[in-house]
Amino acid sequence: MNHFIIKNRKDVQKLSTLAIFAGKTMLSNGAETYRVEDTINRICSSKENIKEVDSFVTQSGFFLTLEYEGEIFTYLKRVKDVGINLNKINLVNDFSRQFVNQDISLEKGMKTLDEINNIPGYPKYLKILGGSYVSGFFSLMYGGSPQDFLPSFIASFISLIILDKLSKFNLTFFIDRFIGAFLSSLLAIFAVKLGIGVNLDKIIIGSIMYLVPGVSITNSIRDTMSGDSLSGLSKGIEAILSALAIAFGVGIVLNLKSKGWI
Amino acid sequence: MSVLLQFMYSFFATIGFAIYFGAPVNSIIPSGISGGASWSLYYIMFSILNDKILATFMGAFLVGTLGEALAIKYKKPATVFITPGIVPLVPGAGMYYTMSYLVGRNFNKAINAGTEVFFMAAAIAMGIIVSTIFTRTIRRFKRQN
Repeated sequence: MNHFIIKNRKDVQKLSTLAIFAGKTMLSNGAETYRVEDTINRICSSKENIKEVDSFVTQSGFFLTLEYEGEIFTYLKRVKDVGINLNKINLVNDFSRQFVNQDISLEKGMKTLDEINNIPGYPKYLKILGGSYVSGFFSLMYGGSPQDFLPSFIASFISLIILDKLSKFNLTFFIDRFIGAFLSSLLAIFAVKLGIGVNLDKIIIGSIMYLVPGVSITNSIRDTMSGDSLSGLSKGIEAILSALAIAFGVGIVLNLKSKGWI
Repeated sequence: MSVLLQFMYSFFATIGFAIYFGAPVNSIIPSGISGGASWSLYYIMFSILNDKILATFMGAFLVGTLGEALAIKYKKPATVFITPGIVPLVPGAGMYYTMSYLVGRNFNKAINAGTEVFFMAAAIAMGIIVSTIFTRTIRRFKRQN
């Protein structure tokens, strides 16, 4: 048990700031909503004189309400920029368990969370390389010949770099994926025209795979499973729209090709 | 031999995805193994049964179960392992062929491919759901004993 006790209203505020910060870090890095809810509730109800802890988490923000000596505190936090960093989810999850089971003061907890939030992920170019490797190996997995590895690697590498440059304009996930699929399939066609690749279909399939909304799919299923059908539905729709965006991007390029314009 | 090659390809693809999603360093290799194993199961089952939907279900079930097991072993959230591992099963190829048939005005084939994509996506969801229920039941059973 955590032996630091809540003494006054200021401590309640500190505790809820801590819980909110933990929840925000998890949510904005792509955690499932039920996990965020668990974490917030766990942090708040670890103190003995805090009662009636309730949180309501959706994909784009959350409410937290708790009772201290008959007084009810309610907070609302809006979370907007959702990126993906599985490591931060894991670290905050670990932290919340440590916070409950060990003697960590509120100030020290806040400092640890701050450190977790500022941990740099993998360097940008390693991530881009990872995404491009995905594409290369996928074209092999779907039955492409070894010569197809390089063109699909290059196609997704270039489009990932362009997407990274575009990311500062804060386009929505739909436009992002559309542009990604469009560029990848365009580059794949050029690669085949230049004679680097053999099977156009395998190259395109491989080079769009890095756009697949893996996190939305997993989270929507797991959220629905744990009874959180609201977030489950919204993430499911995000996954479907992403798939549609990819299909549109590829479809336009294929259409142009069938008309002989490329 | 071809299964071994497929395992290798999907192993590296899953590792690439784990890096792309910023997974913790010591979880990258295990999630690669789980992704590779599930794709290999899909590949074997597809060559035996000739049914993409059932094969996808089995693959997704394996990812889910391995994800929960690895989550206990490495003390990390299960999503860290499931998210990269599920990606090889996502019907990207079906999506592409649906679109290419639509563009070629080959609507009958497009409907065939599109339906298959839809049911493969449903099979992924079912696979994860069943594996979650499966592991939860085992855990409850163990706690009772």
